[in-house]
Amino acid sequence: MKITKQARRDAKQLFRSCLVNGLLDENRVRQVVQQVIAQKPRGYLAILSHFQRLVRLDVARRTAGIESAIQLPENLRTGVQTNLARRYGPGLNVSFAQNPDLIGGLRVQVGSDVYDGSIRARLAALAEGF
Amino acid sequence: MSNLLQEIEAQIAGVKTSVTKQNVGAVREIGDGVAKIEGLTDAMLNEMLDFGNGVTGLALNLEETEVGAIILGDYTSVKEGQEVRTTGRLLQVPVGKGLLGRVVNTLGQPVDGKGPVKNETSYPVEKIAPGIIRRRSVSQPVQTGIMAIDAMIPIGRGQRELIIGDRSTGKTTIGIDTIISNARLNKAAEAAGDKEYRPLYSIYVGVGQKQSNIARVINVLEEAGAMPYTIVVVASASDSATNQYLAPFAGCAMGEWFMDNGMDALIIFDDLSKHAVAYRQVSLVLKRPSGREAYPGDVFYLHSRLLERSARLNEKYGNGSLTALPIIETQLGDVSAYIPTNVISITDGQIYLETDLFYQGVRPAISVGLSVSRVGSAAQIKAMKQVAGRIKLDLAQFRELAAFAQFGSDLDAATQAKIERGKRIVEVFKQPQYNPISVEAQAAILWTAQNGYFDDVAVEKIKDCQNKLTEYLTTRKSALMAKLAKEKALSDALTAELKAAVTEFKQTYK
Repeated sequence: MKITKQARRDAKQLFRSCLVNGLLDENRVRQVVQQVIAQKPRGYLAILSHFQRLVRLDVARRTAGIESAIQLPENLRTGVQTNLARRYGPGLNVSFAQNPDLIGGLRVQVGSDVYDGSIRARLAALAEGF
Repeated sequence: MSNLLQEIEAQIAGVKTSVTKQNVGAVREIGDGVAKIEGLTDAMLNEMLDFGNGVTGLALNLEETEVGAIILGDYTSVKEGQEVRTTGRLLQVPVGKGLLGRVVNTLGQPVDGKGPVKNETSYPVEKIAPGIIRRRSVSQPVQTGIMAIDAMIPIGRGQRELIIGDRSTGKTTIGIDTIISNARLNKAAEAAGDKEYRPLYSIYVGVGQKQSNIARVINVLEEAGAMPYTIVVVASASDSATNQYLAPFAGCAMGEWFMDNGMDALIIFDDLSKHAVAYRQVSLVLKRPSGREAYPGDVFYLHSRLLERSARLNEKYGNGSLTALPIIETQLGDVSAYIPTNVISITDGQIYLETDLFYQGVRPAISVGLSVSRVGSAAQIKAMKQVAGRIKLDLAQFRELAAFAQFGSDLDAATQAKIERGKRIVEVFKQPQYNPISVEAQAAILWTAQNGYFDDVAVEKIKDCQNKLTEYLTTRKSALMAKLAKEKALSDALTAELKAAVTEFKQTYK
């Protein structure tokens, strides 16, 4: 779908209106989508499409994916969550997942930042070194 | 003791578990060698991006939600959704003397099958040009070995002289001749153990050229023994537009290394018209706004920042220099097109080659009226200045008078003499390709022409007479030529000696 500059501008304006103290407010997002669909302004599909992209990127920026080879004990989980909150601020959605491919260690991704302390990454670095 | 061991163990464990931080993104769109990547929030402008599998990209557009990157190498293996990482490094190429005699691509990788390049240093491809504090004015000559250029449009070390003309008018030949001439001078100085001579290393950058043409150039350079002093950077027509866009900058980085290390280098950009076209293609695919002739708005800055990197550094900064000879191809002699006017205004003069002259047999087909060197005369040696001072004026007057003479009107003796002299000067300036003439031979021949020793020779025999005179001077009067090369000026004693030698030659010449 061709998204015009105007549609991009409108979507961005709508996205800004959904921010409360710099954080995305879910209720406002839902309201915006409902309102746009109800009012059907010119190019509303393009606006919604770009709006969805902006929301997706923001959610990705505010989501921390923590992968480990085995399930992490509760105290370690809390520790990681606290450290991430200190670095990235409040409002971070944290999700834990198991990935045996990592062999050992942790891989944390917040937005486009990746902290890789897994054995797989170290082996890959070693392979690159050769 | 046990505490110490534990401490060391803990430290080792700490090192082992060190976590690497990376900035990653995902390919959202890929096409025509340009990728749009989501994420990469920490990417820098002109940073190298790692696409995995040995594919590298260069971040060119940093937008609000995505990064536009050009792919260097095979972009067909890049897939949508693929992970991309920042590397924290700007695009760099290997530099140094290890590249001399090699043919490399845009990234400095060898393409001549002679094994890996030996280099210890790398330079960023994009670099800010030396500032005014580091510079000094041009004062040393670049001997092109082409008499018409060395006499009338002299080029100095650190100058930017544009070679402009239609297709197949001998633009590349001028560049190749200059490389060969300087390689010969370098070799001669090396053989003579001349410590004062500053060798001039050459870099030939082929942008968007046919592979066959580049192969021919390399062949000519090898045959002339110029390759040991030359680096050839190739981004042929079959290379991607991104490689063609970066090739002149890569070549320039290689030249800058010589300049920064107190040496002299010459770089030939063959040619910047195709470079502008490649940049236009990259810009359009990156969806940058287009302007006149669909070129992006910063096409002037593209060439100005490239050519501004040619400079003559002052003694405090090593006294090195980088001379640039950019080449521009015009369409039907139109120098007022967008790219030619841009580059004309950036450079310190231009050598304009005319198709008409070329087909009349005047080769090199240099149009004396339209060609100019704004700073080179300061770099001309004194002997050349003494003999070539009036030549440009004489030729201009000849062209004007020759136009009158076409109408068949009766001419007075003085006009007739000027026309005859002009015809002989035009003949003297004709020169076969890849055959540079030494500066002392040029000075001697021009002195002969200026002082009327060719006036009684038929126009069609001028070239023969000139060749024989050169041979006579270099073989029988080598001492005189050596003295002229050393003194670099025509003193009264030298003039008298030269006069005697030419008179003696004229007596034997038939």
